[in-house]
Amino acid sequence: MKIYAYGIVDSHNRLEEPIAGLEGKGIYNVFYRDIAVTVSELNEETKEMTDTGILEHEKVVERLMINFTVLPMRFLTVFNTKEDVLSMVEFYYEDFKNNLEKLRNKIEFGIKVIWPADTIKKRIIDAYHKTIRVSIPAESPEKIFVEEKFKKYTIDKEFQEEANRCITVVDDYFNKIAVEKRLKKLQTENLLLNAGYLLEKERQNDFKQAFEQLKNAPGDLRFLFSGPWPCYNFVTLTKKSVADDYFNTEGILDRLLKP
Amino acid sequence: MAIESIIETDSESAFIQEMEKTRDALPSRIDANPENVEKGLAKLVLTLVELIRKLLEKQAMRRIESGSLSDEEIEKIGLTLLKLENKMKELKNVFGLRDEELNINLGPLGDLI
Repeated sequence: MKIYAYGIVDSHNRLEEPIAGLEGKGIYNVFYRDIAVTVSELNEETKEMTDTGILEHEKVVERLMINFTVLPMRFLTVFNTKEDVLSMVEFYYEDFKNNLEKLRNKIEFGIKVIWPADTIKKRIIDAYHKTIRVSIPAESPEKIFVEEKFKKYTIDKEFQEEANRCITVVDDYFNKIAVEKRLKKLQTENLLLNAGYLLEKERQNDFKQAFEQLKNAPGDLRFLFSGPWPCYNFVTLTKKSVADDYFNTEGILDRLLKP
Repeated sequence: MAIESIIETDSESAFIQEMEKTRDALPSRIDANPENVEKGLAKLVLTLVELIRKLLEKQAMRRIESGSLSDEEIEKIGLTLLKLENKMKELKNVFGLRDEELNINLGPLGDLI
């Protein structure tokens, strides 16, 4: 049997009620000092897992969040033996303690914003043709090439600046409510912002209200609001080892949002 | 769900489409086997060359923007950039690589290019 890990919890107590994990196996805690790794057993033969597995993983982490502070681990984190689990938690103990402290009573919300990239680009191109700031006399193929490159450079730059301005406006709604944030700009031309906000549990209504205000503000932005989630984007490890990847949960929320 | 997560949007299909694009850009594992090791190596090397080419191009555009280059210098830069771009196209064709393949995901730091 292998060992499948869901997260680190701030407890040295046994789980009070049975919780089913992946493949229907019961979850339990592997203790190290005053913290624990929540795990379940996994069949040796299990090689691949579908997105149904990720939902089960998420359900376990959410269930744990009711009673504990949890550092969620990446979907599909598997150890060969209990000793491997213990050596990982021993190595990261200080980091885990610091993160558990940081994430106590916190939750994460996600905000994604789509903007009309084509319309904005067209507006920038029109403005470029009206006010060309640098003139390159295009009498040779080399200069024609440079002129084209310069046009693209100027338009891209203005597009990025416009994105920054727009992101600042959106971020201002949540900035004062959140204690930490992760903002990803323009992951695609249309996806202006993919943001994760960490906040105190008791401020979730403030956050929801801020989103309502943003949603009702004039403009042609489209929004996707999600949460509360376990703090997938806010575990930061200072010690380095190959096991860092166990906490690389980037993208897990996007997979959970997949219908 | 235990903590009652909410997902709210009035543009579900648009978000699905954009999220699919971001997922496509991040391969979950490196495809390394004896048949494509040469292509993999070429991809890595050409990505780095492309990064340097783009940095050079950006620096040149900044200098043009600041007005610090003469006509002759602009022409010379144009020729250099044109030759570099053509050589890159040639190499990409040789190894069957597309523009969007010339990138490296640096995890939390995002894409290299």
